[in-house]
Amino acid sequence: MKEAKYWLKVFLATLGLFALTVLLLYLFLNKRNPSSPGVKEITVQVIVPGEDVQEFVITTEAYTLRQALEEKDMIKGQTSTYGFYITEVNGRKADESKQEWWCITKDGEEIFTGIDLINIQDKDKYELTLMEGY
Amino acid sequence: MKISSKTKDIVIVGIMSALLLTVQVALSFLPNIELVSLLIIISTIVFGWKTLSIIYIFVFAEGLIFGFGSWWICYLYVWTVLMLITMIFRKNRSSFFWALVAGAFGLGFGALCSIPYIFIGGLPMALAGFINGIPFDVTHCIANYIITLVLFKPLYNLLDWINRKEFGK
Repeated sequence: MKEAKYWLKVFLATLGLFALTVLLLYLFLNKRNPSSPGVKEITVQVIVPGEDVQEFVITTEAYTLRQALEEKDMIKGQTSTYGFYITEVNGRKADESKQEWWCITKDGEEIFTGIDLINIQDKDKYELTLMEGY
Repeated sequence: MKISSKTKDIVIVGIMSALLLTVQVALSFLPNIELVSLLIIISTIVFGWKTLSIIYIFVFAEGLIFGFGSWWICYLYVWTVLMLITMIFRKNRSSFFWALVAGAFGLGFGALCSIPYIFIGGLPMALAGFINGIPFDVTHCIANYIITLVLFKPLYNLLDWINRKEFGK
């Protein structure tokens, strides 16, 4: 009887953990903006302090910003424990010794999402800015 | 030759910190699949409060290897949280129980690590960081659950046996 009670507790706790996992995944999937299917036209500005701003209009069927930029060979990066991060844009490498990094913004507003999680929609405008200092 | 209790403690802390660091670095190419949680749980059960020293030597060495970035701030408390939870249930020896604790810890890892971002960029930044990390937390949860379920008993028995035999505790 005591053992049966113990296993019931284990089962219920496991079920609780499973339910929490599903709930978090639901939250994750619903908080992300869906990508619009088909051909999209997005604008990407590359901003390096002290240099002219470069602007690119990209026509793509990609779903994420990473896919769109990789299609045009615009970015290079590395995959870390926390996902993909950009190390190079249009041949300009972020110098880690100077604590340089590429910041992604959409219409000037910072996006706290990895580039492979940014779902693009038609007429989106993104900026890739070389920042200094972590 | 009689070895003092203090020397034994130093040896335990040194070996366990090195072990944590080794398994962490060895598995660092696998996103959120790690043995550190399990080892901290077992270490806390076997060695008790000494695990606090083990954790902070490990955290400092991690900073030296990977750099003292913002992730490091989270390491300053996240493993201690796991140790404190383990201390509460220290007498429990059920693999299933510890698998649940390790799984829940894995699932909550992202939430715990997003706390410093509340002070850096406000609640929206912390929340966005947490939500984006959910797939990693889910992986962490499943991996921790399975690893602990499978390895808790053999590793606990081994460490407990070494502790009794070699350190006479």
